[in-house]
Formats: sequence, structure tokens, C-alpha cells
Amino acid sequence: MITERTPQMAASGWVQCKVGDFQFETDWEIQPGKVLVLFGPSGAGKSSTLRAIAGLLHPVAGHVEIGGRIVFDAANNIWVPTHERRLGYLTQQYHLFPHLTVASNIAFGIKNIDCDATKERVSDLSDLFQLSGLGERYPWELSGGQQQRVALARALAPKPAMLLLDEPFASLDTELGRNLRREIRAMLVRSPVPVMLVTHDREEALALGDAVQVMHEGRALVTGNPLEVLGQPGQGRVARLVGVENLFDLSVQERNPHDGTMTCAGLGLQLEVPLDSHISSGPSPKGERTRVTIGIRASDIILSKEDLVGSSARNRIPGQVISIESRPPGYAITLDCGQSLRCNITGASLEEMRIQPGQRLWAVFKASSCFLVDAE
Amino acid sequence: MIGTSRTTNHPATILGNSGALLYVLFIGLPVIALLIRTAQQSDFLVAVTGDIALTALKLSLVTSVISMAVVVLLGAPFAYLLARSESLWARTVDSLVELPLILPPVVAGVAMLMAFGRNGLIGSGLESIGLTIPFTTTAVVFAQIFVASPLFIRSAKLGFQSVATDYEDVAQTLGISPWRTFFRITLPLASPAMVTGLGLAWARALSEFGATMMFAGSLTGETQTMPLAIIATMESNIDSALALSVILLAGSILVLVLLGTFTRRKWQGR
Repeated sequence: MITERTPQMAASGWVQCKVGDFQFETDWEIQPGKVLVLFGPSGAGKSSTLRAIAGLLHPVAGHVEIGGRIVFDAANNIWVPTHERRLGYLTQQYHLFPHLTVASNIAFGIKNIDCDATKERVSDLSDLFQLSGLGERYPWELSGGQQQRVALARALAPKPAMLLLDEPFASLDTELGRNLRREIRAMLVRSPVPVMLVTHDREEALALGDAVQVMHEGRALVTGNPLEVLGQPGQGRVARLVGVENLFDLSVQERNPHDGTMTCAGLGLQLEVPLDSHISSGPSPKGERTRVTIGIRASDIILSKEDLVGSSARNRIPGQVISIESRPPGYAITLDCGQSLRCNITGASLEEMRIQPGQRLWAVFKASSCFLVDAE
Repeated sequence: MIGTSRTTNHPATILGNSGALLYVLFIGLPVIALLIRTAQQSDFLVAVTGDIALTALKLSLVTSVISMAVVVLLGAPFAYLLARSESLWARTVDSLVELPLILPPVVAGVAMLMAFGRNGLIGSGLESIGLTIPFTTTAVVFAQIFVASPLFIRSAKLGFQSVATDYEDVAQTLGISPWRTFFRITLPLASPAMVTGLGLAWARALSEFGATMMFAGSLTGETQTMPLAIIATMESNIDSALALSVILLAGSILVLVLLGTFTRRKWQGR
């Protein structure tokens, strides 16, 4: 079993980079064994951040610490070259060395390639990543999942002080990606290194992230708990980036402070949502708002054939089915409730309820499933 | 079915096949004639081991090996620079590399005389410190490097360009210094293209005639390489000329075969 004896240190820092006309800036602090996900659309500066940490790109300003060592500090003129930074870097296409066998690829970063300790480490890592017996194969003789495992084993072999993963599952099918996520989690328990992972996949960010930072056009918009940031994002721009399915601009009708809720309406839709003072920190400087943007995740909505009278859900909205789309692993149903409302259900529910376009259904959800999104 | 009828009956296919047949005859006939004529002669071995032939053969081998050593040692790092640098300097030099390929070899010989000749631009200076280049074995090597180096440099440059810099990046994150990365990753991955370039350059150096004739002359044992010896003996001793021609032909075929086997690496084309 592979257990690192040397205690791992946190990785932290900030960088400001300029690549041509594109500028980006970000900061991070990652504890050993924890995963910070950089989430955002392509071109947001995520991969470039990884390259800057690896020393493959020269930041304009910043301070980078890896394994308790300062590897870059613009103010003090410190620059440690890439090969002395003790990093594991996994690229999107893995870049396994095509002229070397699996075993040689894994052993590539270990000093003293021929000693017994090296052979043992290679065989341990092969076991850990289910690569036993493939040592003499060449990269092109492997499946995509095996190639990814070899790349991970190779990155971990020299015992890096930080792991940088650039969309590691992008070229794998969903099922394989899920298995590998589990393996990475297990690996982090055994050898706790700080990990920075770049992705634009929400599911991946939720499954692997201990924290998530949403990046857009070179800036970190928000950093926090993945469920909060990706589930009920408070910023309008973040909400759009993480793909909140339902966003409504409504006007506040009535505030019910004793319930902690308020009633909002617009274009035939009336919702009961959490009171805005509970969400935002203190009353807004402009006094109480009359217009708000409300977000609801499609997966937080229950569909029912009848009005669920006598339930605790504060929102029970009738509507007509406009469309049924396949969105693996489930289905997306769009209801016309004055405004269109998207709900995600499973294939089993779709069959049981025999949902048809034009059918009348009730959308049921709690007031707390609605969240306020700040306008920009 | 449409596909098959198109490939067998299409006018372009018929024309193409006729062209191919003519081409095979055009190239094949002289080659076969050379072999038949050589086989008819009294004794191939005697001709080959004859003084003129053997001396020329040795000189050709020695000079081309030296030329290739210089071309590889200086050309490989140079090709790497051309492949990776975007500077104006590198791009200017890059276009200059093509010049010897287009320039008639005789002109190259004249130009080298103008530079290194006794009254040449720097030749006179070299002469005064006791260095004579024209009409020496060194001149043969110069001429070969001049005409053959672009073939290696071009091919090596393409080889280096085909190695994605990501491989080098990954190697460095694994703790391997840039210098060692070059030898463990870049060079092995570029080597098939470099071997191809070396084969072509070698063949070109062995067949070098025009520039050598101009710049080095045809002195037996000193500057008379195989192609020059063939010209020299064609009138007086056609047996030697034929024997040398067959050796050069065999050498060319060998280069072709080696290029086919060495450069087809297992990781390519998959």
C-alpha cells in the first residue's frame, strides 16, 4: 500500500498573468488531501493558472508556495524552474511518452531508475491504478481509461507536493470518468496532496471538489463550498455560468418576516421565496428592493399530477407540459406556468406518470429551493 | 460498387496506370542495362579492387562520414532552434537553409572558390596562416556539407516540430531538467525524421559532383570521389566506371531500404 510518510503541506499563492492581450488573476489556498476546483467556461484562464503554478508560464506578479517552499515571488525575484517545483501535472490528453512502455512512463520522474525501490514503487502504483500486467505495453495499446491511469501514476510516482489536473476526465465516457473520480478520492486518502483541478463539468466539480472557484474572463468570481456555489449561486453571472436552469425576474409583492419568506410575482408566476435579508448580508444600501432575480434548480422541483394540498411545500404551481427532452441520465420537462419552468425527472418517473406534451401538471417546491441572485 | 468501378474504369485511373508503367520502364531500363553490362564484363571484383576504384571508394566513404558527423552535430541543435524559435533571426535563417537545395552545385563550387580560394574573400587570409582549403580533401568535405546539409536540417526541423511541447512540459513537471528532457524525450521522438534526413543527406553527399569538381578538383586519392572517378575512368577504363556505378546504385537502394525500416517507428501513425 502506498502511504506517504512525509507530512504534506498546504499549497497557496496568487498569480497575475498576461498572455498576449489576455489577463487573468487568481488566488488559492489548498490543504493537503483537499481538492480546489477551478470551474468556468473555456478561455476563463483556468488552464493557464495551472501552467503558471507549474512555472510553464511566467506571471507578471504573484507568490506561489508548494510544499512549504516559495517557488515564485515576483517582489523578491524568486523563480524556481519547473523541474524543481515537485509537481504532478496531468494534461487533458495525458501526453504519455509514446516511445516508452507503461512501466518506463510511470518510472520516468523517479531518480535512480534501475534501483529496487523504484521497481517497487512502480509496481505499487500499478496495483493502485489497476495497471498490473500492462507494464510492457506501449501507450497506444491502452484504452483511454488505462492511459489516464498511467498518466496519474506517472504524476504521483515522484511524490509531488501538489497535483495539477487539467480536465482529466474530459476525453473519457461518463461511466469511466465516475470510476476514476472514485479512484482519485481513494488516492487522496492514502497520499494526501493538495490538488487543483480544472473543469467545466458541474457534476465533476460537485463530485471531486472540496471547494470550487468560479472563473470567468480571467477573474475569480467566487470561491466556496461546491454545493453552495454550484447549487444556489448568489451572483447573476455565476448563476448563468454554472447553468442554473430557472432564473426569473420578479417583483416583490409582500414580505413575511415571521416566516422568513416573501412573495414575488411576474408574468403570471407567483413564488414564495426566502426573505432577501436572510440571504444578503444586512439591508441593501438602496433600501429594500422591489425587483429580484430568483433562481431554482431544475432538480429541486417535484412534478405531480394533482395539486399537493396539505403538503408543506410553499410553492405549488400548475402548468402545461411544453416539451420533454432527454438529458441523460434523466429527462428535462418544460412547463408553461406563465413563464417556462424547467424540471428534471428520472426516466422511471416519466414512464410512471406517462407525461405527455400538453398535459397539465403541478410543479411543487419549497420556498428554500428558491434563491436570490444578485443582479450585476 | 461505385467505388470499385471508379477505380478500375475511370479514365484517370487508366492514364495513371499507363503513366506508372512508362515510368517504371524509364527508370528501370537504364538500371537493368547498367547491371547487365556490368555482369558481362570480365571480372567485377578486379574492377572494384582496382587502384582507382578502391581509392575513390575509400575517399568517398571517409569524406561523407566526416561531412555527416559535422552536419548532425551542428545541424541538430540548429534544426531545433528553427523548429522552436519564432524570432525574426530564426525565420530568416530558415529560408536561407533552402538555398543550397535550389542553387546549381556548380555555382556552389564557384561561390566557395570565391570565398575560400587562394585569392578568395577569406581564402587569402587563411593562406597566409598556412591553411589551404581549395583542391584538398577538406574542400571535398566542404562541398558535401554545402549541398547536403539542408536535407538533414529540413527533415530534423520537421521532426522537432512534430514533438508537442506538452511532452517537454510534462517531463519537466516530473523533475527532469530541460537539458535531460531534450535527450530523453525530444530527441528520441524526433529521431525517425532525423534518420530520414540523414539518409537523404548521405545519399546526396555521396553523389556530390558539381561543387566538388569546381572547388576540389579531381586528384586521385585526395579529391577524386566516386562520381568524379566514374567520369575520369569512363573513357580509359570503363570496367572501373561500371563497377563504381553499381556500388553507388547499391548504396542508393540500401539507403531507400534503411529509410523504410528505420523510420517506421511503432508509435507513429496510430
